[in-house]
Amino acid sequence: MANYYDLDDIIAEEEIVSVVFQKEVNGVGIDPSSETDCVKPGSKVELPFWLANELHLRQVGTMKVPACFNQKTRLELGADATCVDLRSRSPYFYEFGCKIAPLVGDRDLGSFLLSAFKNRYQEVLAKGHSAAFSAASKCSTLLTREETTMYEAAQSSMKAFKKWRMGGPRFQRASILGRKRKPAD
Amino acid sequence: MYGRKASRLVKELTNVEKGQLTLFNSDLFDQVIAECSQHYVELQSLIRKMQEKGLDVQTSKNEDHYGALIHHLALVRNKRCLMAYLYNRAETLRNLIWKVGLVLPQEVQEKLSHSEEEYFKRHSASLKSYMSRLDLDLVVDMVPPKDPYIQVRVVDNIGEGIVLSDDKTANFAPYSMHFLKRTDAEPFISRGLMEELTG
Repeated sequence: MANYYDLDDIIAEEEIVSVVFQKEVNGVGIDPSSETDCVKPGSKVELPFWLANELHLRQVGTMKVPACFNQKTRLELGADATCVDLRSRSPYFYEFGCKIAPLVGDRDLGSFLLSAFKNRYQEVLAKGHSAAFSAASKCSTLLTREETTMYEAAQSSMKAFKKWRMGGPRFQRASILGRKRKPAD
Repeated sequence: MYGRKASRLVKELTNVEKGQLTLFNSDLFDQVIAECSQHYVELQSLIRKMQEKGLDVQTSKNEDHYGALIHHLALVRNKRCLMAYLYNRAETLRNLIWKVGLVLPQEVQEKLSHSEEEYFKRHSASLKSYMSRLDLDLVVDMVPPKDPYIQVRVVDNIGEGIVLSDDKTANFAPYSMHFLKRTDAEPFISRGLMEELTG
């Protein structure tokens, strides 16, 4: 299990999954289509993963494979992985996929995620190292959170390399204080 | 949906750059705590309902049991979000000491909650006592300097009568240049009041 305090892990578990309830549940307001505060067996409810997971494990409900891992996405990623907009599908595409893969009984999901990541990895890293800042904004809108972190790491290492080569002041204003104010006259 | 507010709180942290602080969102924080109390009340009432029916709360799995389960899970989730919010802010705060020194600038202090201010004060006090026992200033730059002196330019109003480590006072008028001991200049640079001149 990931770190309890890990922010990305927490947000990744907020992704929505649809759950079909097997048991009746009373006294909860999670089904917007139901008028009373109970959920009937067989009803389909959209729940965040942290709740859906536990209910799935206790056989209160069964999870469906979320839409972001559907056949269309798989075909697109198979055709040209680097051009697919994964962020709009889920900013935590890989983390979410890893969490859900052992639960939904989809054997291909794990290897599919791995191949998608591998195919995109090279491109992301190459762009991160070479692209100028102005050109960067276009392709970085397609990346997931994980890939963005990697991209930024590549860019910052290039920046550090340039700084090392050109030289410059060692001390700098702490970044917490924000950008430099215009000196008051 | 349950836990939505708590995740909004956590998202606030992920949206800022690493190492930056936002204003402590006590409004949302209190709302999440209120949501927790609500879950607790509903959980209790479901358990009571089971007891009234004469069921064993530990073993019987009826619809009330699953209702209580969902409330319990929501509570655990909200707790995790709240804890993560505090923990990650505290971590950022601790790291600040190495960047801006033992006293927080005003603009950072405004963003903290009362207990965070207290936390920072105590943390820097214990660090100070540790450093005095070691007789070593740990806040200075990690990389050994090539030259113990450094050329700086004052870029902001610092105030007068600042005593340097060699017991002299200097007049740091804005835009004046000085040749200072590195350790004297460092805190001013990190607070953005001076800049290092190179070349």
